[in-house]
Amino acid sequence: MISQRQSWIPAFAGMTDWGVIGAIPICVLFALPLITSLFYALIGAFDVTAWQALFAHPQLWSGLELSIFTGAIAAVLAQITAIIIVAATYESAGWGNLPATMGAMLALPHLALAIGLSFLIMPSGVLARIISNIAGWQTPPNWITTHDPYGLALIAALTIKEAPFLIWIMAGLLDRDDIKQDFKNQRAAATSLGHGSVSIWLRLYLPQLMPKLIWPLVIVFIYAATVVDMSLVIGPTQPPTLATVIWADINSEQVTNNARGNVGAVFLSIALGVCLLLAYAILKSVSSFCRQFLSSGPNPQSQSNFVGRANYRILVWLYIAVTALLLFMSFAQLWPFPHLIPTTSTRAWGLILQSPNALITSVGLAIATSITALALIILWFENLPQKSDQLLVLLSLAILGLPAILVGLGLYRAFLNFGLTGNLTGLFLAHLMPVTAYMIIVLVGPYRALDPRYADIAASFAKTKFEFLNQIKLPLLKAPILAALGVGFAVSFGQYISAQLIAAGRYSTLPIEAVTLTSGTNRPLTAAFALLLLLPPLLAYVIAAYFGKSRWSKG
Amino acid sequence: MSLHLKNISLVLGGEILIAPLWLDIAAGEAVTLMGKSGSGKSSLLSYIAGDLASPFSGAGEIILSGKMLNNIPPQNRNIGRLFQDDLLFPHMTVGENLLFAIPRGVRSERENMMQTALVRAELEGFADRAPHTLSGGQRSRVSLMRSLLAKPQAMLLDEPFNKLDRELRGTIRDYTFTHLKARNVSTLLVTHDISDAPDGGRIFEITKSGEIKHV
Repeated sequence: MISQRQSWIPAFAGMTDWGVIGAIPICVLFALPLITSLFYALIGAFDVTAWQALFAHPQLWSGLELSIFTGAIAAVLAQITAIIIVAATYESAGWGNLPATMGAMLALPHLALAIGLSFLIMPSGVLARIISNIAGWQTPPNWITTHDPYGLALIAALTIKEAPFLIWIMAGLLDRDDIKQDFKNQRAAATSLGHGSVSIWLRLYLPQLMPKLIWPLVIVFIYAATVVDMSLVIGPTQPPTLATVIWADINSEQVTNNARGNVGAVFLSIALGVCLLLAYAILKSVSSFCRQFLSSGPNPQSQSNFVGRANYRILVWLYIAVTALLLFMSFAQLWPFPHLIPTTSTRAWGLILQSPNALITSVGLAIATSITALALIILWFENLPQKSDQLLVLLSLAILGLPAILVGLGLYRAFLNFGLTGNLTGLFLAHLMPVTAYMIIVLVGPYRALDPRYADIAASFAKTKFEFLNQIKLPLLKAPILAALGVGFAVSFGQYISAQLIAAGRYSTLPIEAVTLTSGTNRPLTAAFALLLLLPPLLAYVIAAYFGKSRWSKG
Repeated sequence: MSLHLKNISLVLGGEILIAPLWLDIAAGEAVTLMGKSGSGKSSLLSYIAGDLASPFSGAGEIILSGKMLNNIPPQNRNIGRLFQDDLLFPHMTVGENLLFAIPRGVRSERENMMQTALVRAELEGFADRAPHTLSGGQRSRVSLMRSLLAKPQAMLLDEPFNKLDRELRGTIRDYTFTHLKARNVSTLLVTHDISDAPDGGRIFEITKSGEIKHV
């Protein structure tokens, strides 16, 4: 029997004798930096001059409009795409592969997708070349396909990147045994009452799923409305989104601009919060109309799965095309316009081989942070009662849900104060924070769902707690642990804002290099870096999926 | 309004569960088909309703009120079903659950039909209640009323009294068959418990070889 003690904090009642030791590492390395960074971001907001400067900024309102527009449209489009694809695949043969396919897409960093997509659609891009060869154009078309003033390219990139996330969330819900059984029964009942599948999705499945899909959608919206790296690559420039305006201020040499950037990040966060409240109020006011729709009677229309399946194929092929294109472009040298095939060269890869520092730093950070995060999380889970997980989950959701620019800025301010910028310790901690957050979200369900009676049985064989953990629990949890490591690895690879700020020019990581390169003209090198950015997380995902397979699973 | 099942067979993988089944159910008649678990009795109902899923497969003609149903989508067959669970939709009120089944038309007329159904279910004033606040017996009555509001010509019952408390079962059973008879609905009940069968109705049994035997 594991000894338990009473605690004066109710959430911690029932922790083991080692509870404090289990809690300290994650508090020091994860919770403390997060809380400190939020504190620093907020105290920066108490600066009247900076607020005045912000409101005098000519790009403030246009930028805010663009940020909200691109974020909201991308979130809505991603959700609609997700619903269409899920509805066309659910209860059909392709359903089993869906989570794995989406997982692979999730592993691909946003930045790499934006770079690949821009190479595809830019006026001298592959798409234009293909059309030119058919239509006989000799010069690139005057398309404004990337950096377009309405942010349409950014919206497209965000939709393509966020739809798999929402599909993955929906698939996770629909695969839950209880929901699966309920929905199957409800479908049979509704069919017997004269409802076709369109009506069943709109009146039964979606209304019941929506409360659980709201928070992922909010996270997507906040992410999309505050994204910096993708926006720099493919987003509008004249004027840019507010997040990029703020980003320029934060990176400015002038202290007054830095202060303006700080209040700007706070302002953007508040503005997005207001948007969400407005959206909530609007949804509330139309809810009686929606309720009428629920009960407006049987509609026998069956859905056509054609659009959904087509969407699914397009999505998969876009990811494959982007990856292939990056590989192809990384070997391109001279590439005069309408030619489809460039002269090739390995110069870009040669350059990378000569100075592989960014790659080494990124891979090293990803391995170190995901393994450290796993250790921290297991220490917590093993020594603290399940009730106390709420605290960790809340902090993790704060990282997922708050604008990265706000958290990153606060982290920078805090780290500057403690001498943690421009060194590897600071970079490690800055990467560890989001990695831990995502891994907590992935692990908390499966880890706590393990039947506690296994421990009692093991104890009856006189196994020590460590033996039980090592020989029984961790092997049983192999799949979710490997999946979490894969996610952690990919998240570490995707860090741009905090990496750029904390590195302070002394270190370079792949996202930092890739963003810098996109403003230049060396496309092969940019492509090579984007490819380096996506291959290791993809590899990590494949390894996790392969070794995470159950001993008894087929194939 | 009569249901005719002609030479129905039901197969799981390569194994025959039911064959052959010939059954005519007159309007307002309720026929009971007894079978053990795994005998294919629930799948038979799925075949008749039109949503039998693999690895099961079925064959044979289903004719309802003179119309051959085999190529008609399940939602257009006019066949109602009751299951072991009441399957009231938890995100809708009791009233909305009933309206869900009432064919499209003028809202006020539909509301009146819903209120009448509530009175018949002895649940006047329950329209705005959430299903989970109702007792098991109340939910069963709402479930039956919901099925009847869709104006089915035939009804398939899959052990619908199975999960009810012992003292409720008789009452709900009588309530169900009274209402089905009053609306002239042809009913097929499958069960493993003979006490579910309506009084005086024909009773058949699925034998081990899959044949149908009159009891």
